[in-house]
Amino acid sequence: MLKIKNIDAFFGKIQVLRRVSLHVGGGEIASLIGANGAGKTTLLNVISGLHPTPNGSRIFMDTETRGWKPEKIVARGLIQVPETDKVFNPLTIMENLELGAYPRHQDRATLHQEIETIFHLFPILRERKEQPAGTLSGGERQMLGLGKALMGRPKLLMLDEPSLGLAPTIVSEIFRIIQSLNGRGTTILLVEQNAKEALRISHRAYVLDTGRIVLTGTGEELLGNEEVKRAFLGKDYRGKWER
Amino acid sequence: MPIFKPDIETMERQEMLELQNERLQIVVNQAYSNVDFYRRKFDEVGLNPDDIKSLADLKRIPFTTRKDLMENYPYGMFAVPLRDVVRLQFPLGLYGNPIVIGYTREDLKIWRELVARIMVGVGITEHDIIQVAFNYGLFLGAVRFNQSAELIGAAVVPTSIASAEVQIRIMQDFRSTALASTPSFALHIIEAMGKKGINPRTLSLKIGLFGAEPWPEDVRQVIEENLGIKAYDIYGVMELVEPGVAGECVARAGLHIFEDHFLPEVIDPQTGQVLDGGQEGELVITTLTTSAYPLLRYRTSDVTSLHTERCSCGRTMARMDRVLKRTDEMISVRGINVFPEKIQEVLASIEGIGPAYSMVVAEKRGMNDRLKVRVEAKEEILEGQEERRITLQEIIQLALRRALGLRVEVELTKRP
Repeated sequence: MLKIKNIDAFFGKIQVLRRVSLHVGGGEIASLIGANGAGKTTLLNVISGLHPTPNGSRIFMDTETRGWKPEKIVARGLIQVPETDKVFNPLTIMENLELGAYPRHQDRATLHQEIETIFHLFPILRERKEQPAGTLSGGERQMLGLGKALMGRPKLLMLDEPSLGLAPTIVSEIFRIIQSLNGRGTTILLVEQNAKEALRISHRAYVLDTGRIVLTGTGEELLGNEEVKRAFLGKDYRGKWER
Repeated sequence: MPIFKPDIETMERQEMLELQNERLQIVVNQAYSNVDFYRRKFDEVGLNPDDIKSLADLKRIPFTTRKDLMENYPYGMFAVPLRDVVRLQFPLGLYGNPIVIGYTREDLKIWRELVARIMVGVGITEHDIIQVAFNYGLFLGAVRFNQSAELIGAAVVPTSIASAEVQIRIMQDFRSTALASTPSFALHIIEAMGKKGINPRTLSLKIGLFGAEPWPEDVRQVIEENLGIKAYDIYGVMELVEPGVAGECVARAGLHIFEDHFLPEVIDPQTGQVLDGGQEGELVITTLTTSAYPLLRYRTSDVTSLHTERCSCGRTMARMDRVLKRTDEMISVRGINVFPEKIQEVLASIEGIGPAYSMVVAEKRGMNDRLKVRVEAKEEILEGQEERRITLQEIIQLALRRALGLRVEVELTKRP
């Protein structure tokens, strides 16, 4: 569904992505894990058309999206839920959801029908539908962010650190929702620092390290990979040749 | 036709090339940052790992040779910390510095799957009983049959080095349906059957997996006719996985290389130039998924050619011709690799003989069967007591047997 090939990206003179290539197959949950500053968010921004890249190709549903404006990419069904600023704080939940459907221009009846489906998925949002988004808790904002993205009818949903700053019980809830969205046919590219949870639900995953992809495999393979364990699931300071 | 991993084995060619490209970039990143040897090699030719943008850039990477592996013995080629390694394999019979190949748990899992792909590809199922008559001590890949058979639910009888008589008895009593061995040993079994007057049609054997030495088509014919089976070729590289790099399918139109794990090239062994599909040359392999012991453009010394058209079995993976030649001096005697360099090394360690020697190979049905080494000896030994001469012969024989794992006849000759 998505094929990224040889993407470089820079912040000024600093290179943050180095010929990154990866793919996400239709129906998959693929995740991209890596430490802070590895370039994960930049890569999502490149895919969404928000960050310029001098080279490489980004093929979404068999079409090269190089040079496309972000709104055109969104309209195609490639939707990113950013790490921060995923909702409009002063607007109500209803308004946020309506905005999510903006790229698709449709009549109000269908719109409300679709909002109903979102409320069905996240009952807590229905209870607060007239409240400004700024009054929501972290977990609720995450749900609203997801709901808003779903209103755009994504074919591929890119989630940037959905577990960030959430209490552990809410984290499991969010991951469960991600899995169920995938179960209904949405392809997902998940960016996470919480490697353990992300790998647990991923079909495949990539590890990004200082701008380069250094490892790939199924979620299960990477969960068992010693390199991943050392990097993300607890430090190990022994020398290379110590057993 | 049965295929173990259809999504991979019948993947569209273009998609496979993209997968390989992605994996190549990752293995280059890993090798460059984790293995000093590769970092040095890249730096020497001014190559940055980020320069590898497509499969066409592969040819910019310097070759890796067996000499490199020897020079970096023991752990210099490892890309993971030693504690991630769960198997250390030590191929016998190599000359000079030894080499040691490490495998992580994940590496072994992949290897197990690859041999299972071969088994399924030739029609082995959970209903089969596979008799493995490879030498488990000398052929390090033999144990792989056990694990891969378990994966598909087939039963294994590791008969290993049991005599031909015992092998036949087991075939009869256990009703083995598949035989895995060197082709030489299959010929030996056929001979023993002939002597005992056993009709192969009374056996349950259907399928044979043969490898670890070159075997021409006429040998295949002899084996098939005399055992009443279909005989398939399997291929591996001692320094990667053996067997498990490639295997024939029922169409027998070459050996399918598991290209999702190994990236093959064929080069002119003299110039190093990459050759087009169909042209004969030296097989070069780049591992795409190996964690512990990644090899970039490893020169296998095996001569073959590659074909990428879709096979009638449905697989899209490239096929290599059967390997019958080498680019080096190595010969295979009853499935045991013999490097002349190793023989030279052994002879040089014994006083009173050499330096000149020659190897004489006795063939049986076109296969190397026995090895004789003729070596020059001092005149005083040749013309002295017979006892002393025989003792020396025995010393040489024992030393060669220890070094090669093969019984070698020894003849002492006069210096010119």
